[in-house]
Amino acid sequence: MTELSVSTVASHVPQVPLPEAPPKVTARNLNFYYGEHHALKNINLTLGTNRVTAFIGPSGCGKSTLLRIFNRMYDLYPGQRAVGQLMLDQTNILDPRLDLNLLRARVGMVFQKPTPFPMTIYENIAFGIRLYEKISKSEMDDRVEKALRGGALWNEVKDKLNASGLSLSGGQQQRLCIARTVAVRPEVILFDEPCSALDPISTAKVEELIQELSEDYTIAIVTHNMQQAARVSDKTAFMYLGELIEFDDTNKIFTSPSDRRTQDYITGRFG
Amino acid sequence: MEAAGPYDRAKALSAFKLGDATFYWITRISAISVLLILGGIILSLIVGAWPAMKEYGLAFLWTQRWAPSADPPVLGALGPIYGTLITSVIAMLIAIPVGIGIAIFLTELCPQWARRPIGIAVELLAGIPSIIYGMWGFFVLGPFLANTFQPFMIRIFDGVPVLGAVFAGPPSYLSLFNAALILAIMVLPFITAISVDVFKTVPPVLKEAAYGMGCTTWEVVKNVVIPYTRVGVIGGIMLALGRALGETMAVTFIIGNSFRISSSIFAPGTTISAAIASEFAESDGLHQSGLILLGLLLFVLTFFVLAAARLMLMRLETKAGK
Repeated sequence: MTELSVSTVASHVPQVPLPEAPPKVTARNLNFYYGEHHALKNINLTLGTNRVTAFIGPSGCGKSTLLRIFNRMYDLYPGQRAVGQLMLDQTNILDPRLDLNLLRARVGMVFQKPTPFPMTIYENIAFGIRLYEKISKSEMDDRVEKALRGGALWNEVKDKLNASGLSLSGGQQQRLCIARTVAVRPEVILFDEPCSALDPISTAKVEELIQELSEDYTIAIVTHNMQQAARVSDKTAFMYLGELIEFDDTNKIFTSPSDRRTQDYITGRFG
Repeated sequence: MEAAGPYDRAKALSAFKLGDATFYWITRISAISVLLILGGIILSLIVGAWPAMKEYGLAFLWTQRWAPSADPPVLGALGPIYGTLITSVIAMLIAIPVGIGIAIFLTELCPQWARRPIGIAVELLAGIPSIIYGMWGFFVLGPFLANTFQPFMIRIFDGVPVLGAVFAGPPSYLSLFNAALILAIMVLPFITAISVDVFKTVPPVLKEAAYGMGCTTWEVVKNVVIPYTRVGVIGGIMLALGRALGETMAVTFIIGNSFRISSSIFAPGTTISAAIASEFAESDGLHQSGLILLGLLLFVLTFFVLAAARLMLMRLETKAGK
């Protein structure tokens, strides 16, 4: 029984592991606190450049919390703080003097629920570009088209760019958000359970998109769906109760995990 | 235990029928009574204003002279209409940015511990009776403005075309501008309270998404918070405008009750409601009818303002592509 479910999960995983990629984001002894609550304990890991890293684990294990440190999203809320070291290339992400707007231009984020801005489809894309670049209308048109193509949405919306972003279906909205994130040309894209509000077909489209994006971007994805982690990622991190239990090639995690808890989780014994 | 007899569903339901019907009629009568009261007010205004309408016709709207004791009385509404519009416009020009600014500060920037005190202070501002604003405006604000702000503005804009006429002297304790400033303070809480409430409805994840793109707080507010809450904010502004147009007591105290139209906003003027309040008690005959006609005009004016606001909202929505 156990053997069966493991092999089902692993059936899509490429059998030859990719060569080790140069590190893009490196965490050393990273700790995180919600007020007094110690939510992340001594996290050490590396996101490889142009690799997809999946974070799995039961609810409340700290995967999303970890993701929200990568772009300092937690900074919006008083009482939340991170301690330790977290580097994006040579930049110390935790540096209090760091320009957060520039950090977030380098580290984009796609959320659990689609979050189109209350404006037209065109503006949803152009908005982000305009924050960083002053370009002409025709250049902007090009960039918007490119971003929407990058989000695998162009063919569906090219005739209604002036419709509200809210008029799209959930799956289209999520791809719009991905296109919007890609449009500002980040280096890292964080996906926080990007498919949990989507139907299976939209999910497949988004997963395909994530794989395409990994050619140009370093990707971190939090997911509750283990098949999804197996399908899209190169490396997988299993987290449990705020600790990083195991971090290895996705193939290895899903076929021969070295920690007992990882095995229990991926075979569905808890979580 | 023995059951109390076979359960008769039809009978049980019929027992509710009377209650349902009563409930239905109570709600229906409540709704209809609103229409009846509204219609009754309009009707009695028209009946009361009829003699003046017959006497002055449409010329009432653009006659500036107001001489109720002449024989026959000469009555024109231009002064009060002008005063009403000007004071409301100036009041909104001041109150909208300040009110929304306070709301943005309270929801996006204010440290947690200061939120409640400031929020409560704004709500208390709304609770001050208008007569107190009137007294304060008369004894404190009016002299202060006449001695400091007005001479300053008059000096600065002296000789500047157009603006020189708008800010012309002499400074006055009682003026359109003083009334507008008091109005702005009075309507500020409406704009702030409603804006705060609707700003709080913006889903945190939407704001996070905008911050996640690298937006500054100002960019998040301008591009996400305000567009998302546009309808609610405009609703608050309209409520405030409705109050500014009709506010009587405080304005009557400090506007100077002059029917002459002056290009300067530092000159005394009057508004429709101030004119009615200050003259109604001593009026009779055609004079009283003229004042009622003024009231009818205020009604129509407010109606058009609210209709225009609806229209603007609809156009905004088409523009946003909904």
